[in-house]
Amino acid sequence: MDKTTSILKLKEIQASTNACVTIIENDEKTHEGLLSNIPVALKDNVITKGILTTGGSKLLSNYIPPYSATIVHKIKQAGGVIVAKTSLDELGMGGTGTASFNGIVRNPHDLTRQAGGSSSGSAVVVAAKAVDYAIGSDTGDSVRKPASFVGVVGTKPTYGRISRYGIIPYASSLDHVGYFTSNVTQAALMCDVLSGVDPLDQTTLPVCPTNTLETLNDNVSGKVFGIFEDVVNAVNDEETLKNFEAVCNALVKKGAILKSISMDEDLLRACLPTYYIIANCEATANHSNLTGVNFGLTQDGEDVEDIMTKTRTVGFGPLIRKRFVIGSYGLKDENQEKLFRQAQKVRRVVVDEFTKMLNECDGLIAPATSSCAPLLEGANTNVLSNTHLIAENYMVISNFSGTPSITIPSLPVKGLPNGINITCKVEDEATMFKLALAVESCVKELL
Amino acid sequence: MKRDVVIGIEIHCELKTESKMFSGSKNTINDIPNIHVNEIDLGHPGVLPTLNQKAVELALRACVLTHCKIDPLLKFDRKNYYYSDLPKGFQITQQFHPVGKDGYLDIVVEGETKHVRLDRIHMEEDTAKQYHIDEHTFIDYNRAGVPLIEIVSKPDMSSALEAKEYVSTLRNLLIFADVTDGKMEEGSMRCDINISLKEAGSDAFGTKVEIKNLNSLNNIDKAIEAEIKRQNDLLDSGEVVLMQTRRYDENLKTTVAMRSKESAVDYRYFPEPNIRPILLDASFIEHVSKNLPWTPSQWFDYLTNLGANDIEANILINNKTLLDFGARVLKDVKDSRLGLNWIISELNSYMNTLGEKLFETLSAHDFALFLNLISDKVISGKQAKDVLKWMIESGKNAQTLVEEHDLKVVSDDTSLLGWIDEAIKENPQSVVDFKQGKDRAVGFIVGQVMKKSKGQADPAQCNALVRQRFLEQ
Amino acid sequence: MDKATILALATELNFSLSEEEVNNIHIEFESLINLLGLLEKIDTTHVEPMVYPFEMPLTQMREDKVDHEITQAEALMNAHVQKEGYVLVPKVVK
Repeated sequence: MDKTTSILKLKEIQASTNACVTIIENDEKTHEGLLSNIPVALKDNVITKGILTTGGSKLLSNYIPPYSATIVHKIKQAGGVIVAKTSLDELGMGGTGTASFNGIVRNPHDLTRQAGGSSSGSAVVVAAKAVDYAIGSDTGDSVRKPASFVGVVGTKPTYGRISRYGIIPYASSLDHVGYFTSNVTQAALMCDVLSGVDPLDQTTLPVCPTNTLETLNDNVSGKVFGIFEDVVNAVNDEETLKNFEAVCNALVKKGAILKSISMDEDLLRACLPTYYIIANCEATANHSNLTGVNFGLTQDGEDVEDIMTKTRTVGFGPLIRKRFVIGSYGLKDENQEKLFRQAQKVRRVVVDEFTKMLNECDGLIAPATSSCAPLLEGANTNVLSNTHLIAENYMVISNFSGTPSITIPSLPVKGLPNGINITCKVEDEATMFKLALAVESCVKELL
Repeated sequence: MKRDVVIGIEIHCELKTESKMFSGSKNTINDIPNIHVNEIDLGHPGVLPTLNQKAVELALRACVLTHCKIDPLLKFDRKNYYYSDLPKGFQITQQFHPVGKDGYLDIVVEGETKHVRLDRIHMEEDTAKQYHIDEHTFIDYNRAGVPLIEIVSKPDMSSALEAKEYVSTLRNLLIFADVTDGKMEEGSMRCDINISLKEAGSDAFGTKVEIKNLNSLNNIDKAIEAEIKRQNDLLDSGEVVLMQTRRYDENLKTTVAMRSKESAVDYRYFPEPNIRPILLDASFIEHVSKNLPWTPSQWFDYLTNLGANDIEANILINNKTLLDFGARVLKDVKDSRLGLNWIISELNSYMNTLGEKLFETLSAHDFALFLNLISDKVISGKQAKDVLKWMIESGKNAQTLVEEHDLKVVSDDTSLLGWIDEAIKENPQSVVDFKQGKDRAVGFIVGQVMKKSKGQADPAQCNALVRQRFLEQ
Repeated sequence: MDKATILALATELNFSLSEEEVNNIHIEFESLINLLGLLEKIDTTHVEPMVYPFEMPLTQMREDKVDHEITQAEALMNAHVQKEGYVLVPKVVK
């Protein structure tokens, strides 16, 4: 796909899906590499020098950064061409694609349905085949869930594999740079392009192999797929379960071994609240720089405090302000122990348990979401149900543990996309892509 | 009623690094605002901090010098609050795990040694600088992110003099260790004093008042005296001392309350998620301990061993720039005593007029060679003063100037005796005077010889030869 | 979390909330309590809080050199008001 075609397509789908914040027509290739002349879209929380970067928030709706994210340099050095900044739930905080200051993002397969979030726009532009590669970010499944809803591959590598320098943060200890592609091979390629230690991000892994594409194959003979039983049991959509079973059987035919793996139910149900507290607390502190003093959509005021207050009131949507109130509450000196630190302790218990589970297999596998994308109108959630807590939100565990995790499109549910998630041990992207490739072949065969 | 004074001091000290604590922009005081900044210092979205190794080294030096227990696992925390000089809306500091704890400093106050305990030393970053003019505030981010250490003492001091001596001693120690330039008037070292009064001998502490941002040793002294008086006056008249933050007003010569918040701020400290704990190698810490620049006391011993007396040694110790220059000179010079003389008198005097500009044209190496020319009697002491003046004005080295001005010292007996004999022949009375015990006759003939030789005759040698000639008459 | 607390938190956070927004947060917090109940079920005796996904300490630090500056124009270009090279704000109340 070339830049011109890509831009035409992006413009074509904009009215219906509202996937883009900015379409960039004048970026040119500056180097040769794995992405030579290939158009790439960036979630609008990826900082681009000289190009509007909004983070999905009104507060940044006039922000022109003086620098670019490290991954932007990497994409350029690989020959890539940036064609769009895509829409996201405000500041990465949301899972529906309905919470951007830029408006609702719609699922291209069914415009009455969600695209998922927070990396909604990036998921959509790949699904609509306007680009083959789109960058997103994944703090609690924000790449892997929309991938399932729109039917593309959504990859979240190991924490620290890809530099976060220049990614507007949500929760620093949970944020991962992730990306969408049409297939697993492209995902392996992108891993090689984006990986690497970054002196500007001291949390990047010191050793990052860049031969993922080279060593990729789908030979899973003898590989143990750990079926995450509790997730399967929490799914109540028959079609999803039937599809999942079909894929698993197909894997067995390829020589894979299936193993049932479980986590304590209470622990699993505690994952979402753990995530919610840690994420909101960290986010509140991270966004204390958004005050309008030296950048942002500054509102006039009588004194600095007035400016800050008006800027943040006008600039942040009500959902964000709500999250900040909760986050700030959790960080209060008198509450930290029983809220923030308690959540951090549960995180450790979950990660320890999860590590044991991963040690029993080559990778965990489960449906990425319990069903296809929910409707935009009238979606009703029972927040305390296992379906919600487990089936819809278990993928946050990989944000706690930093384990590499990928969603691959599976067989459709109600004629709409639905994905399968695979998670592997820390730094074991090689196995993750191999297992994913195998799943992709199985799905292709079954279709 | 006799009351005890209880003083604790917090010092914020800017570290002498090239770049900032968490980013690679320049650590400098520069008049042009906002030119030594980057997106990290400005707190833009998406930035991440990267810890400066040299800042850690300098913080460790401060810990070693004050006998702190060092925590080899460096951990950082966020201190969260909103203010216009804090671009990120939080400061990265070390709340829970300071790099050094439980140290001490022994100071000398009126001949007695006083042991002052230190609570902690920790690393953090400085804020932007604000200038309040009329109805506006101008913000300069050059200072945002500059590396700081905060040194917190225990409330062990009990007088203005002790406080002043503590700050002065600590400051000197840190300047000599190259940790900071200690320029209080420029803000690279700022003191906050916590002071309370209590009944003499009582264990119950009084209400603590904080006096912020004292920027000179004299002001520390005056502020504390003023505050002691204020608190005593309040307590004497039965009133209560309020816990508040005050500043010292130089014009009013008293402390003045700053606008304070109604309740204490909850900074919501939590560990910085973007900086994982850093484990310092034991060998790294040892390297720092064993490679400290000399302390003032070590310099004192070195200088006195070279022949300086106490006063001379202290002159140099109190002028670090001159000392650093002098030290390099003393390494290369043949006659240390000569070197010390010239450094302490001539150079010191030039520094008074030229300040550090002196060293723009005069290098330590050239100065040492210049001094060697004197010891080698290539030029006389008198000529040397002129040569030094020319060196400073032109930046040229002594050898070049000696040749340009055609200077030399004549000290061979033949030439000197030639002039001496001439002078004696022209002034026969001098011989008579000498034999009558008038010693000034020698000086007179020496003077004549200096004229004849256009200042090139070696006066000491000349003096000896004149005496010899007189005795031969 | 009562409404007074919510308003106090908003003030500390430097933004305001409409009455409707305060109500929504109040309601949401009630359901959050239920979620928090799930956290309390987990035994965390002797468990240290987990701050980072990986915990091996770093050994590398940044070399002390000046290699990352932007121009004054770049630094100021997003400021609402600038004057003579400074970011200008109305006088700070302190």
